[in-house]
Amino acid sequence: MNFELTEQQKVVRTSVRKFAEEVLGPNAPIVDKEAKFSWETKKELEKINAWGISIPEKYGGSGLDSICNSIVIEELARVCASTALTVTVHNSVAAYPIYKFGTEYQKEKFLVELATGKKLGAFSLSEANAGSDVSATETIATQDGDEFVVNGSKIYVTNGGVADISLVGAKYVSENNDKGFAILIMEKDMLGYEIGEPEDKMGMRGSSTTALYFDGVRVPKENILGSLREGFKVAMHSLDAGRIGIAAQALGIAQAAFEMSADYSLHRVQFGRPISKFQGVSFKIAEIATKIENARFLTYRAAWLRDQGKSFTKEAAMCKYYASMIGREVCQEALQIYGGYGYSKDLPLERFYRDVKITEIYEGTNEIMKAIISRQVLQNL
Amino acid sequence: MKIIILIKQVPAVHEIRINRTLGTVQREGFDAMINPDDEHALELGLSLKEKFGGEVYAVSMGPPQAEGALRECLAMGVDYAVLLSHHRFAMSDTLQTTFVLERAIRKLEPFDIVITGSKTLDSGTGHIPVQLSEALAIPLISQIYKMEIKNGFFIGERTYGHEYQSIKVKLPIIIRVDRGFNEVRFIPLLGIKQAFEKKIEIWNFDTFECPDEIDGCEKSPTKLLEVIDEKIIRKNVEIIGTNDEKAQKILDFIKKVHIQKIKSPLDLE
Ligand SMILES: Cc1cc2nc3c(=O)[nH]c(=O)nc-3n(C[C@H](O)[C@H](O)[C@H](O)COP(=O)(O)OP(=O)(O)OC[C@H]3O[C@@H](n4cnc5c(N)ncnc54)[C@H](O)[C@@H]3O)c2cc1C
Repeated sequence: MNFELTEQQKVVRTSVRKFAEEVLGPNAPIVDKEAKFSWETKKELEKINAWGISIPEKYGGSGLDSICNSIVIEELARVCASTALTVTVHNSVAAYPIYKFGTEYQKEKFLVELATGKKLGAFSLSEANAGSDVSATETIATQDGDEFVVNGSKIYVTNGGVADISLVGAKYVSENNDKGFAILIMEKDMLGYEIGEPEDKMGMRGSSTTALYFDGVRVPKENILGSLREGFKVAMHSLDAGRIGIAAQALGIAQAAFEMSADYSLHRVQFGRPISKFQGVSFKIAEIATKIENARFLTYRAAWLRDQGKSFTKEAAMCKYYASMIGREVCQEALQIYGGYGYSKDLPLERFYRDVKITEIYEGTNEIMKAIISRQVLQNL
Repeated sequence: MKIIILIKQVPAVHEIRINRTLGTVQREGFDAMINPDDEHALELGLSLKEKFGGEVYAVSMGPPQAEGALRECLAMGVDYAVLLSHHRFAMSDTLQTTFVLERAIRKLEPFDIVITGSKTLDSGTGHIPVQLSEALAIPLISQIYKMEIKNGFFIGERTYGHEYQSIKVKLPIIIRVDRGFNEVRFIPLLGIKQAFEKKIEIWNFDTFECPDEIDGCEKSPTKLLEVIDEKIIRKNVEIIGTNDEKAQKILDFIKKVHIQKIKSPLDLE
């Protein structure tokens, strides 16, 4: 067993950290305050190849392993969680599923532009009446010759307002009246594809979240991802991969909160000594540090299993559940260590706290994570 | 165009520790990075390659772990990396280092441009570029703020004391860059992937015909007598008044500090 990062993984960390601190750092409070997606940041991320981290070089990506992918997301989130969200959704649940399940035609047509960052991707499953329960999906795709006609709508689509390509989950009815669930690759300029107003959110305000409306959008049948019947499997496998990214994101936010609060505890003097000298504070630091370490190992292990080609459904659910939960706890305690200053918008602690909360909800709520974990654990008894 | 960039691995800024008995910077077990000045040399080398084509070599003398810094050079876009490493190179002063670098550069002849940083974070003498220029008998161009390469000539402008100079020099040359010269690119992820698929050449004492005079430990003429911590005493001052008064007070203060500073002959260069 080896707990050390490889030299390559270390270089990924130091260089992305530098990029994040210098490029995202000054912008992070601004995109939060103005709730604005930054196209300049998008271009800068293109220069460091952040749009195809684990996609093979052949398709325009960097071909790095999943641990590197997690490190990139973690380091971006440590500085700007909104940017990390945009990047992880694009990489893990838009580009990656096309690589994993796409036909050669789909890879040439969609993947290369996604991996190089020429185009942005989204993944839209959630609907007004279908959140945790994907089987309640109402969007419907009806076959008409070589095309599927799609009607319905999606909500809370990350990158919804900025993505050129969106993977959309829909119930389908084929010509021979076969029914099931499929994932379709849609393009934003398809007729009848409409983008809703930006969501006014508690956190992740620098990322674009919108509804999508489909009014008779005609999608060629070559755009079905995987085979028609595979839709559910495609969606679930993509989410497995995506969850490692969400865990990495929560981890990065927690790391930032930890670094700031630990440093503050050494310098804030009350009752004639640094507050770190009070056990009530230093024990918080100990708990925070231990939780983060724990979450990091769970996350990297899930990524490692994925790199080994082994099953990682349970581990992805575990790291997503655990990292997001401790992420929330860590941000809360870090803010507490700052006292009133932590509650002020002058410091990023309150942003961390608002940003981290959603990691317990999206890409499957933590309740759903526990359902997945318990099912896996119990069925293997 | 064949460009050679000299780089050094130094301890990450927050990690610098001095070994008091040896009078050297302790390197073991600490995070390391490319010397900040050298990153600007790398940037210049890579941008010249992008403009004129050719090959960029990164050359570093150091212990085996300096491979890490060369790996980063490869990730940034350098074509070839050479590590000069041998126990006879250890503990070299700047003269001994110059001897080794000179031999490595000669082995890469014919070249067009050697690029270096101005000084290193961990020793800061600034000797190497000057001594190398002497050893290789090619001109050293420094303090430039503008440059181009045309028909085998370097054409550029530089500050020189209180003057601005326009200069034109025939290649090959050594260019020494400062930190303000250009903006260093970030390391791209694809570069990191590819850097670990490339090979780093290791050249040692036996690679070139090294004369006996090369022996960092025994034959370095510079002897370090003592290492003294630089003490920076910070004082908080309150500046009160209208904005104009405050500005004046700050200006007076800068003037005072500046006058004190140039009293030291070392600050005149
Ligand atoms: C900022 C943001 C970005 C998002 N990005 C995307 C995106 O890119 N693509 C996308 O498709 N969706 C996205 N979502 C939607 C997100 O994935 C859903 O909100 C999430 O899956 C939960 O669905 P829901 O909100 O409908 O909650 P519900 O499913 O209605 O759940 C409500 C509560 O009931 C609990 N619950 C439900 N079922 C069970 C059960 N069986 N057992 C125990 N508890 C249960 C839940 O855990 C939760 O606490 C995003 C949401 C937000 C806020």
